[in-house]
Amino acid sequence: MILYDFEYERPGSLKEATALLNETGGDAQLLAGGTDLMPNMRVEVVTPSLLVSVSGIEPAAPEKCADGSIRIDSLTKLSDLVDAELIQNELPMLAESAHTVASNQVRVMGTLGGNLCQETRCLYYNQKHDYQFVEPCYKRGGDCCYPFPGNDRDVCWAVYMSDIAPVLIALDAKLEILGPDGTREIAMADLYTGDGMNPFTLGTAEIIQAIFVPPVPERFGWGYHKTTVRGGLDFGTAIIVIVLQLAEDGETCCWAKIVYSAVGQGPLRPTTTELSMEDAVLDPALIAVAASQEISPLPHHGFNKGFLRENIRVYTERTLVSAIECAQGKI
Amino acid sequence: MNQLRHVGKSVKRKDGPDKVTGRAVYCQDVRLPGMLTGRILRSPHPHAKIVSIDLSKAKALDGVKGVITIEDSKGIKHGFVETPRYPPDQEVLARDRVVHVGEEIAAVAAIDDITAQAALELIDIEYEILPPVFNPHKAMQEGSPEIHPSHPKVAEKESFSNIGGKTESGWGDVEQGFAEADYVREDRYESHLRTHGYLEPQVTVAHWESDKLNVWTSSMGAFNKRAKLAKVLDLPYSSVRVHKAYVGGAFGGKIDLYSHEFCAARLSMLTGRPVRFVASREEIFSAYRHGQPLVVELKTGVKKDGTLVAQELRIINNAGAYRGSGVVVVFLAWGFTMAPYRVPNLKYEGYSVYTNHTTRAPQRGHGCPQVRFAIESQLDTIAEEIGIDPIEIRLRNARVPDEELPNKDNVHQAGLQECIKIAAKKTNLVAKYGRDRKSPPQDTSIRRGVGIGISSYMSGTLIYPNGSGVIVKMNDDGSAIVLTGAIDLGQGAETVITQIIAEELSLDMDDIKIIASDTDTTPQDIGAWISGLTYVTGNAARQAATNARAKLLIVAAEQMNVTADDLYLDNKEIISQSNPDNRLSYREVIAASVANHRGDTVIGEGFWRTMRDEPNHPSLATTKGRWTENYAFSAQTAEVEVDIETGEARLAKALTVHDCGFPINPGLVKGQIDGQVSMALGHAFMEEVMTKDGYTLNTSWLDYRMPTIHNMAESEDADVITEQYEVGQSYRTKEVGEGLVSGILAAIANAIYDATGVRLHSTPFSPEKILKGLRELERHQK
Amino acid sequence: MNQINDRTTVNGKKSRSRVLEMSINGEAHEITVKPRVMLLEAIREKIGLTGTKDGCESGTCGACTVLVDGQPTLSCITLAVECEDKNIRTVEDLADGENLNYLQEAFLDQGGTQCGFCTPGMLMSATALLEKNPKPTRDDINKALEGNLCRCTGYNSIVDSILQVSDQGVKPRLL
Repeated sequence: MILYDFEYERPGSLKEATALLNETGGDAQLLAGGTDLMPNMRVEVVTPSLLVSVSGIEPAAPEKCADGSIRIDSLTKLSDLVDAELIQNELPMLAESAHTVASNQVRVMGTLGGNLCQETRCLYYNQKHDYQFVEPCYKRGGDCCYPFPGNDRDVCWAVYMSDIAPVLIALDAKLEILGPDGTREIAMADLYTGDGMNPFTLGTAEIIQAIFVPPVPERFGWGYHKTTVRGGLDFGTAIIVIVLQLAEDGETCCWAKIVYSAVGQGPLRPTTTELSMEDAVLDPALIAVAASQEISPLPHHGFNKGFLRENIRVYTERTLVSAIECAQGKI
Repeated sequence: MNQLRHVGKSVKRKDGPDKVTGRAVYCQDVRLPGMLTGRILRSPHPHAKIVSIDLSKAKALDGVKGVITIEDSKGIKHGFVETPRYPPDQEVLARDRVVHVGEEIAAVAAIDDITAQAALELIDIEYEILPPVFNPHKAMQEGSPEIHPSHPKVAEKESFSNIGGKTESGWGDVEQGFAEADYVREDRYESHLRTHGYLEPQVTVAHWESDKLNVWTSSMGAFNKRAKLAKVLDLPYSSVRVHKAYVGGAFGGKIDLYSHEFCAARLSMLTGRPVRFVASREEIFSAYRHGQPLVVELKTGVKKDGTLVAQELRIINNAGAYRGSGVVVVFLAWGFTMAPYRVPNLKYEGYSVYTNHTTRAPQRGHGCPQVRFAIESQLDTIAEEIGIDPIEIRLRNARVPDEELPNKDNVHQAGLQECIKIAAKKTNLVAKYGRDRKSPPQDTSIRRGVGIGISSYMSGTLIYPNGSGVIVKMNDDGSAIVLTGAIDLGQGAETVITQIIAEELSLDMDDIKIIASDTDTTPQDIGAWISGLTYVTGNAARQAATNARAKLLIVAAEQMNVTADDLYLDNKEIISQSNPDNRLSYREVIAASVANHRGDTVIGEGFWRTMRDEPNHPSLATTKGRWTENYAFSAQTAEVEVDIETGEARLAKALTVHDCGFPINPGLVKGQIDGQVSMALGHAFMEEVMTKDGYTLNTSWLDYRMPTIHNMAESEDADVITEQYEVGQSYRTKEVGEGLVSGILAAIANAIYDATGVRLHSTPFSPEKILKGLRELERHQK
Repeated sequence: MNQINDRTTVNGKKSRSRVLEMSINGEAHEITVKPRVMLLEAIREKIGLTGTKDGCESGTCGACTVLVDGQPTLSCITLAVECEDKNIRTVEDLADGENLNYLQEAFLDQGGTQCGFCTPGMLMSATALLEKNPKPTRDDINKALEGNLCRCTGYNSIVDSILQVSDQGVKPRLL
């Protein structure tokens, strides 16, 4: 149970919601599915005085726009994203990543926008602090870091765990953001600061309104892997997303993107390795070594860096093989 | 007449309808008018002196009705074990010093949860930090921070610090044995910290009213709770009533008296209102009791045909900050060593060591999984080194029927040899063993392996309250009400007792209603935590029914003008064998009893305990003395799949072949087996309480990873029947609720070796460890 | 009158209680709750239906699962105020008076319940699954129930219960 009172409003539109958030100047929180916010409020990671609920706003169904991109309402429930025919047919990787999130109940309750804006996580941060870790850590406004005592002030290595964000980055999605002054558009990758203390570039009164995913080119291949301990329910140990386009010869890679999640303060990209894949015939084993060496996975939730790196190496190779076969039409 | 109608059948649970409709009342469902909310103030330090406590601001807060510390108690201690050697060592709240993070210091009762939490925050405590120690080997060293003085009996001979207790035992001459052995090896195995993972959090509601304390509390034995609670409150047992409530799983974590139970009771006595305490999931993971992490050092000598000659064990238990059940585990570990195999020469010592961690509680198997993992792993290694297969070495050493154990217990109809043979045959183990290691498949990184693990577990032994009673009240229409102190945690106790009484009195299951687990209205019961309920309480129930039957037969014989031995019971009638037309219904017989026997309404009473002929329980310190007349045996196999590129492993198939005597309810037995397979694979692959400097890092279900529906293996089982049930005779069923975790865990360890060649010496069998083992093998091969 | 303490709100004021109408198991109810009260507490304390269980308060075990407009929902992390005018179904709605429904019977036939604590949540998740997918595969069942933890049964009997009730070749095991 939540052991403090707060006020609650349920506006009829996102526009009204941003206005309310703006009024309270950072002391309010947006409530969509609540699957991230409620547990965090319970352990007092955040203690807003006002919740602005958008649960009364009916999201539009995913639809194809005139330019061929697909518009997905940010309030789309994850289970609806999984089940939508348009998504299954045109963006199967998105449906697959949404299907790996948490549990059926969380997928039914949670929204796409909420999944992308989930707070970063750490064993110490996500606990009650009545008698354990009583001194607040940097992210909680205090003066220390428990898992990494050597960290400087304001360096937080809590990890961003979204299963879906890396997919949207790989697919070059754009976000339509609504604020008190209107809308603006950013690339999905620009949602992240890379700073664990404040992971998102959104203003306190800004809300993601919609996600636009451009059409995929021909000879496009994708691969998605989420390493977990139990095969379900878990947050990712490491998440690997690979997309690529093959040339007409069906072998040479034109370009590729590799996006990792659950191993950094935001999603990670091995950009040098990606460059080396341009206009090249790929050797998955070598690329996997390069990519896993290029990024620096943060140890998290009991998994150490060496293990994460090795896991990323193996699954980068397997996922890349899968993406190539996908582009070749074999799977 | 000899055909059993109820016993031996997979009858549906009696309490099933309550559970699938939500009608079942658990402690969290108990509502009393005016109920206050209780919260506990817990220590933020692993080891500290309490310099001062100021409760004044908390007491002054509106809505706070009571605030207590140890000063509000009678200072009476309690403990899991209470013997002359191991007197109770725990206060109900901390006095002067705290010895683990989360230890209870004060408690409040308030009108709601917000007020209770605010009150806790208003309590001012000044601490003086003391140096803590977390590693048991460090804790044992002279000069380590002293959590408690070492036990005087140990201190007089050894200079180790922080020893809560020691078990020492042996026979024969191990040095001679090792000298005569053809092959000797020494290994060390470690089991890690895990916890019970019951879905129902502990809740206690206490209501002191009219000089009587009414308590609803999550437990494993109402009489145990009553005794401990009454003791610390200095009340006669008749003033404490522990009511029946359903329990949402326990697995060993709900036997002990918990501080919050005392606090609920005391605050109710002080405020005159009902008080409810709910343990949050964070509290359960970080401040309540967990299982016992054991280090097992094992030296074994064998003849070249695999016969065990000598074994030497040294076990260290990281027992936490109070004695808990640590001293029992180091005793039991000896038992789990000597029961399944014949060991001619043994030397055993086990230390229970204090550390600044939460106190430990029994956890399903209570040391058996940890010990069998060690012994079975080493035995497989030995077998391979001397060139015989894992089945042959086990058959050579496994107990046979009627063997006497070193403590003078007898294994009676031990079916272990049969269990091993059947397990080997069903899995085709010998043919499959070593396959993927010898010719690894080239087209996949998945390796398959098979392993076997043998275990033995005792069914019921002597610990308070030592015996069970059951009362059968015949209603005058021939149906029956049964009073039993037995508690159903999910294992099916009420169903099994109904089956027995239905069988003995030739009633239908629906003719019988059970009133259970209420310390005022039901007889004393041993509780559901020593694997003895079906055996002990079941036999008490049988006796009670027999007693009622005897009375019915006497009256019937009079009415029917025959002798009692001419009569038999069938479907609520009593019938003459010599003249089947001569019959009376129970209704008629009972009416006659009331009419002609001065109002005797026909009540049957029965009672039972393990080892009816032995007055005392064995010595925890020396293991001398008989323990039980009831040993269960099992051979379990595991088939695993390991991805050698990622180290990820899973249990694909489990087989349990067990000598449970005979199953009273095969369906319920299978339920127990499945649950234990799930626990074993959790122990093997995914569960771990992560601590750092005495703090618990994973305090939620997300990070304490218990098996989900995705993780369950195929689970097959087969019974080896070694006992039988006959109406009117006492019976021996052997336990099925605890001992079957061990064999699967051990089998998994052996199967991982079989799949990969990696021999793991510590749980959990994480991907990191498997990968590390594979790299080392590669290096060796080069 | 409760002294206002600094837990009450960040800015020191107590929050307004709301009067909500919701339908619980087909019956109209009006309850008064503060925003911070979870649906679980509203169901168990205000309405008095204690069949839905409180296992963790943080949405990680599934014992609190109820159906909100047919959707399986973790009531321990859902605010009651979010459920205004919605149709809530709890485990108490499955049986018809004394008559258990087929799913409940199947749980008893297969031994799908032992301690019973996870059972209400399991039944609601299973009910939602079967309404959406009358013949679920084992994978479908696993995905639908992965958020419901069970420590007693090892899950096989729960899967068998759902396969039995959906006529997929599993026969009752208990009599």
